[in-house]
Amino acid sequence: MNSFPPRTATLLYELDKKLMVLLRDGRTLIGYLRSVDQYANLLLQQTVERIHVGKKFGDIPRGVFLVRGENVVLLGEIDALKEADQMFERVSIGDILALQKQEQDAKIEKAKSIERSLKRRGMRFPPDLVQDDFL
Amino acid sequence: MVTKMPEGEAEPVSLVTIKEPVDLIRLSVDERIYVKMRHDRELRGRLHAFDQHLNMVLGEAEETITTIEVDEETFEEVYKTTKRTIPMLFVRGDGVILVSPPSTTS
Amino acid sequence: MVPTYCKFVIFNKIVRLTSKMLFYSFFKTLVGHEIIVELKNDICVTGRLHSVDQFLNIKLIEVCVSDPEKYPYMNYISESFIRGSVVRYVQLPVNSVDSQLLQDAARKEITIR
Repeated sequence: MNSFPPRTATLLYELDKKLMVLLRDGRTLIGYLRSVDQYANLLLQQTVERIHVGKKFGDIPRGVFLVRGENVVLLGEIDALKEADQMFERVSIGDILALQKQEQDAKIEKAKSIERSLKRRGMRFPPDLVQDDFL
Repeated sequence: MVTKMPEGEAEPVSLVTIKEPVDLIRLSVDERIYVKMRHDRELRGRLHAFDQHLNMVLGEAEETITTIEVDEETFEEVYKTTKRTIPMLFVRGDGVILVSPPSTTS
Repeated sequence: MVPTYCKFVIFNKIVRLTSKMLFYSFFKTLVGHEIIVELKNDICVTGRLHSVDQFLNIKLIEVCVSDPEKYPYMNYISESFIRGSVVRYVQLPVNSVDSQLLQDAARKEITIR
């Protein structure tokens, strides 16, 4: 297993390390990488979903995840020095979910109001404002 | 731009012909080409390399992004273009919509 | 004796095979250089190229992002594996790219014919 060619990107070094994984839908997972394959399918253990809103964050325990590779944007080993909670303020799951909902509602409301006004003028909501970059 | 062969003559192997779409791009190596990308992005640059996925390396690449912004008060659509130049740029092929050779690129 | 047409097809296959690896080989020559990887979700990750694989997955060390406030989770990591399929552009160090060599490699099919 240690015979893969040098200079080749591989996730084998990341095995059993604590990783931050960014998914295509923007969610971030933190967990221990237990297994990986050629598609970058990931098996994560002790996973939490971390939600950031401004300077605050909260963790939702998720357990074991198998993430299909195509949904992975990037991942990296958590730098113990960098992870320190002092950078951000940890809040409860309930609080962070409420904050996240506020943030999302504001976005949706803004988009809806623009869409309504454009519709009245017989125009279509610009599809490019919709996040479909990964499709 | 397909080179026609006289009938009955064997095709000389050394001749540059367009047999498949990417052959057109092969003829544009070291020329300035135009690339239309997904999400209203356009590129103009010197083609240094490409492969069958239309991954490319462009030199002196000028990118133009067109965005529609909606004025929050008047709700008018404003088209904005932003430009930037990147000296050496690798472009992933899955975002490419079309490639246009230099003869049609201003 | 192989007919000319068959020879052509065989050549074509060989060249296809090498051109498949063109950018993989190219990125390997850039290992150790600083690059900027622009993702399809608009994140710009700057870092030193550590390694690359045949899918053009990229591993960067010493990573930083252009807008850290917007991507707080990027603060946790200093190395990153980026899946090739989410890359839009890679900005390359112009002085470390041998454009003549690249062009020759891209034209190879012509010279062989």
